[in-house]
Amino acid sequence: MRSPVVAMLWENWRLIRAEAAWRLSLSIVGGLAAFVVVAAAAPNQATRDFSASVALFVLISLNFMVWVAIAKLKGGRLMDGYRPGFPLYLLYTRPLRTTVLVAVPMVSQAALGAAVYLVSALVLRLTLDYPFPLLSVAAPIAAAHLAYNAADWATRSKAVQWLASTAAIGTLGAIAARRWQGWPTFFDFSSTDYAFMAAMSVASFGVTVAGVARQRHGSAPAATPRVAVGGFPDWLVDRFQFRCPTSSATRAQVWFDLRSSGLPVLTLGVGLAIVIPLVFVATTQLDLVLSRFITQPATRLVAVVVAVFSVPTVLILLAGNAFGIRAKQGRTYASAFEATQACGTARMAGLKVLVRSVCLLGALLAVGTSIWTSASVIPFDVLGDNDTLIEKSRAPLSGWMRAIRSGVGAMSADEVLMLAFVTCTLVAVMVAWRAADAALRARYQRRQRIAGSVLLLYALVLGLLAVAGERGIGPEIPLGAILEATKWIAAVAMVLATGYLSWNVFEERLLTLRQASSAILFSAAFGMAWVTVLGATGVSLAGMPTTDAAWMRSPALLPLLVSLLAPWSLSRVRHT
Amino acid sequence: MGQTTVVDVNDLSRSFGSKRALDGVSFHATAGQVYGLVGANGAGKTTLIKHLLGLLRAATGSVRVFGLDPVRDPVGVLGRVGYLSEERELPEWMRIDELMAYTHAFHPTWDVTYARELIDTFALDPAKKIKDLSKGMRAQAGLVAAVAHRPALLILDEPSSGLDAVVRRDILDAIVRTVADDGRTVIFSSHLLEEVERMSDHVTLIHNGRVTLSGPLDEVRRGYQRSRVRFAEHFEQPPVLVGALAMEGGGRTWSVVHSGSLEQFHHSLLAFGGEVVDSRDATLEEIFLARAGRTRQPVEAV
Repeated sequence: MRSPVVAMLWENWRLIRAEAAWRLSLSIVGGLAAFVVVAAAAPNQATRDFSASVALFVLISLNFMVWVAIAKLKGGRLMDGYRPGFPLYLLYTRPLRTTVLVAVPMVSQAALGAAVYLVSALVLRLTLDYPFPLLSVAAPIAAAHLAYNAADWATRSKAVQWLASTAAIGTLGAIAARRWQGWPTFFDFSSTDYAFMAAMSVASFGVTVAGVARQRHGSAPAATPRVAVGGFPDWLVDRFQFRCPTSSATRAQVWFDLRSSGLPVLTLGVGLAIVIPLVFVATTQLDLVLSRFITQPATRLVAVVVAVFSVPTVLILLAGNAFGIRAKQGRTYASAFEATQACGTARMAGLKVLVRSVCLLGALLAVGTSIWTSASVIPFDVLGDNDTLIEKSRAPLSGWMRAIRSGVGAMSADEVLMLAFVTCTLVAVMVAWRAADAALRARYQRRQRIAGSVLLLYALVLGLLAVAGERGIGPEIPLGAILEATKWIAAVAMVLATGYLSWNVFEERLLTLRQASSAILFSAAFGMAWVTVLGATGVSLAGMPTTDAAWMRSPALLPLLVSLLAPWSLSRVRHT
Repeated sequence: MGQTTVVDVNDLSRSFGSKRALDGVSFHATAGQVYGLVGANGAGKTTLIKHLLGLLRAATGSVRVFGLDPVRDPVGVLGRVGYLSEERELPEWMRIDELMAYTHAFHPTWDVTYARELIDTFALDPAKKIKDLSKGMRAQAGLVAAVAHRPALLILDEPSSGLDAVVRRDILDAIVRTVADDGRTVIFSSHLLEEVERMSDHVTLIHNGRVTLSGPLDEVRRGYQRSRVRFAEHFEQPPVLVGALAMEGGGRTWSVVHSGSLEQFHHSLLAFGGEVVDSRDATLEEIFLARAGRTRQPVEAV
């Protein structure tokens, strides 16, 4: 290497090249796919313009704020995981001036972020013959990268980091919103706007240099990233202090899982459940105040969005990684401490899934009750407006509530019980599935990535074919037959996977006969409940062709499948 | 008296990608003995230990601990094993007393008094969280959790790492001796040869994934001599002497670590016009360096 700067540039490139390639591919494929899918909806200019806007949104969102940590210098976990230790503070001992130390990674990140956007926009320009904007988007992307890095590196305070980056991105977003022109101009930034972005970039650089200089000389704590990911933050885990029982290993394991993951999940759920009515009350009151100045209610939509997305958010964010797979410096692994406890793998997997499922159900119950109560009790119509946007946004919420009320109301007590049993089991199935997914990802990362990409690609192609077929675009494709085949492939795969796992689990003696019998009995009970619930919701299996009826019954296999998959996958990371 | 086999590893091999971590390793341990695993970084010590704990599956060969396969029967094996990992990986959120209670629950043989004694000896604060402990204190907490249930097999991976000299010499040695004197087995890995020499009954040297030397420490040491030899003429390269594993020095005077027949060694020395100036048992470090090829090897004299 000819100079330290060249060496650092090389180092940065080695760190980010894979992710840059991923991001570039995703931008191009995602942008093109978004354009094709949306444009297929109606063959007119307005739809094409709209689809181009969607494609642009995809490009921007893939290269804007959330992706700013492209070089992993902040130690974030993105795309291909946590990189071998490369947070900026590790560079502090290098014999370089702080300005150089900060400038090289900062500028290279910003340049790369902008470059990835520019290249993908150029490709889309050429392929779609649409004037996707270049400089007017690349400039704010670069400025956002610099501001975000400044927030991340200049201070260790997470609150300051969050506030500063939100303020910076918010400011850029506000400018962009004000300059939005639609096609073909998009953003009509003035020279003053560009000057502002330049000034913001320079200020970001200056703030970072000052912050890093203080950290280098010990005047401020170094902005270090979290060293390991895989658990809940301390403030959540420490909420509950109760003694670990020593009377049995099972009780101790339950205590461990409750403390380390179950109760934090429940706490988050209950916290959200408390926030939801507050949001309803606050937005309603805020709209009342704002009604003096603006005619339309402005903030109530927030309450509706919070209500609609709370349950799926809780499910997505809190159901994962029940086995506590850890991630550190690019490596995912099971904790050696837990792996060396004298506990059978099936028992360990079962307890972890059980504890997480029960706590997740508690969280879901709290959130669901909170939404229901808030939407029922807190009036929406205090302004008596007939704003269509608000009405439309409320429609799914009130529609769902009506559907649930009438659906459950029409059921007998037994059927309601069965429905509750099915719901709880499906939540547990989801927890077990995601736990197994995390474990297998740790063990077979590459294989799982390939399989996931193939499935995604297949789903994308099916989606595109569906839209194209609906609009009569392209040659006639037997989409119905393909979907039918897919359905059967999935059912056969489920049966084969169950068979394969059964063989492995018994061959490796992971499950005892008692555990296996319990799993089979539970699955049978779930199957009966599933069929009862199908009947209660008006699905008549008797009137269906045999193949369709078999397909409708196939979810009954899920509990058995995951009760084999969970211990098998945990065994794969426990004994590598 | 028949000795109970505790660990029985036969022809164990393991690769990580293209790297051969273990290559046909066989290792046996009997009750009441202290086994020291010695080797350079990356030699395969931790890989072998992980196989004993069932953290790694045997790709080829077999691993039996107490006659059981640790992968197929983790409860049967781990219930009788105490383990201190090299990384001292413990749940950060736990307090020391919680760690003790949690470990206690898995081991009915947990000795509360002994655990308390050790905590007091190490001057650990039971209310302190693991994440707030220094590296040494973490090792101490891990050590208490590993030994307080009086395991039949204690496995310590680099136990000295992070411990100060006093704790290492006084407490660690005492713990290991107590365990062995009670008829239980200790296997520990270390790169501190002086420590292995002090604590072990048996020593196993692993080099590049292979066991290059294994046996009772006294036997091992008796089998190797370190001799200072003087030649009549000047040698640029060390001459090839029968039984010589490593030679250091230059010109007319060389230090030789050698094994095998002393008579043959002397004969070959005479053939080069040399004589033994002085001789003694080799230290473990000298044997290790000679076996690991870290010293100059004899080559054909020009």
